[in-house]
Amino acid sequence: MKGKVIKNIITTVGLPVLFGALIFTLWQTKVLHTLFKTDEIILPLPTRIGSIIGDNFTNMLPQIASTMIVALGGLILGSIFGYLIGVAGAVFKKWGMGGLTIVSAFNAIPLVALAPVINNWTRDLSSVVDIRSTVAKIITVTIFCTASMSVNAYRGLTEVKPFLEDLFASYGVGKFKMFFKLRLPNSLPYVFTALRVSVPACIIGAVVSEYFAEQVIGVGRQIRENIIKGQFPTAWAYITVACVMGILMYVILLIVEAIVLKNRRAR
Amino acid sequence: MSEKTNAPEISVKNVSMVFSDSKGNPVQALKNVSIDIQKGEFISLLGPSGCGKSTLLRIVSDLLTPTSGEVTVCGKTPRETRLEQKFGIVFQNPVLLDWRTVRKNIRLPLEMMKVPKEEQASRIEQVLELVGLKEFGNSYPGQLSGGMQQRVGIARALAIQPDILLMDEPFSALDEFTREKLNDDVLSIWRKTNKTVLFVTHNIAESVYMSDRICVLSPHPGRLSAIVDVDLPRPRNADMRGTPEFAALVEKVRNSFEGI
Repeated sequence: MKGKVIKNIITTVGLPVLFGALIFTLWQTKVLHTLFKTDEIILPLPTRIGSIIGDNFTNMLPQIASTMIVALGGLILGSIFGYLIGVAGAVFKKWGMGGLTIVSAFNAIPLVALAPVINNWTRDLSSVVDIRSTVAKIITVTIFCTASMSVNAYRGLTEVKPFLEDLFASYGVGKFKMFFKLRLPNSLPYVFTALRVSVPACIIGAVVSEYFAEQVIGVGRQIRENIIKGQFPTAWAYITVACVMGILMYVILLIVEAIVLKNRRAR
Repeated sequence: MSEKTNAPEISVKNVSMVFSDSKGNPVQALKNVSIDIQKGEFISLLGPSGCGKSTLLRIVSDLLTPTSGEVTVCGKTPRETRLEQKFGIVFQNPVLLDWRTVRKNIRLPLEMMKVPKEEQASRIEQVLELVGLKEFGNSYPGQLSGGMQQRVGIARALAIQPDILLMDEPFSALDEFTREKLNDDVLSIWRKTNKTVLFVTHNIAESVYMSDRICVLSPHPGRLSAIVDVDLPRPRNADMRGTPEFAALVEKVRNSFEGI
């Protein structure tokens, strides 16, 4: 039992870390540059990127905060909205599957097409740039995060173990109680399945929406601005920050999931 | 054990059930089945798969409506009896809620029925004692063996203090040793609580060991081909399984199937 756990840790943590270390070594020793026929201007060394982040971290903070607000705002709104769509699908069974297919189709619209459209749409929302631009970005991320939650919520609300519906029926209870005592808790693991998709997606969505935003702020916007100005090491510093933000949020999600679903995974 | 009083607790009259299969063709699951079950009786519905035994149990408990025929339970319709929460049902799978502890799983129907809090607690302890799971009240289903999970299912059915206990192949997923142990446990619970039990099984020896009477159902179409009285003395114990009387009853039941 204990040996198995240790073996698991080695394969799930050890191997990826080792692989990452290998890439960094190849990168730092410029093997990567030779391999991909590039130079230190386009692909700065990891130590250089690291020192830029270290020197400019206080300047980066407002950019990080702005991206974080957009990402989290969109994630929360999109998840709530998606869950409600899932509920509607589960309640109105006739339209459930069809409605969800349409939502999924929405998800196929490329983000780079969606972001500028939303940006134009919200132009008259407020005279304050910061407000209307933030709203535009959050809406973009919201749409980006809705589909996976709605599909998974629908499945979690409808895919209950065989006989459970019969059991509740045998108690003579109505649909309302069955919903709260059975369907809702049953959907919880499915919510986490959706979040495993939409947590990384919300960072991507926020970064891309910043590219097209009126407001010149955010980690994504800084990547773009610095590439335009030819400041590749700074652009790379922001790319790294975006990656770390996504990874950190994902790790937090996994920890929360492990705590919330602890007893269901005892098997 | 059963007292043959006047009105039967469960009365099934000329019940037929026709389903449509996936191609839309009608399939006769039950044809003209009639049974009267007395209060406190232990009755088995025995037959191979496709004989309609589970269908019959679901009709009695109002989870299905028969195509024709009449069912009365305690003098009322199955629906009235279901809404009065007089049925305790144990399914093939334990059907526990993974996110609730054993205690909270047993509490579930009591919450639904708005049983007062103190009474909930006392009933839960009582049924946990009855199924021998006192130390496992705070465990989650995922931490229990299949046999223990099924005991929780039985405890949950008993907690609502039903008049009628309906068991739909409750031990078919368990190994032989666990099954025989649980057979004895169910008999001992039945003796203590004196419920009417309708027990669906495809295991001939199990039905002989448990029942007062065995309703033998034959398939295609599902029909009642015999009712076998089991006159083995009670309380029954594992030693009886090896007696000639037991073997003779098993043989008699086996010979009463038709068309298999």
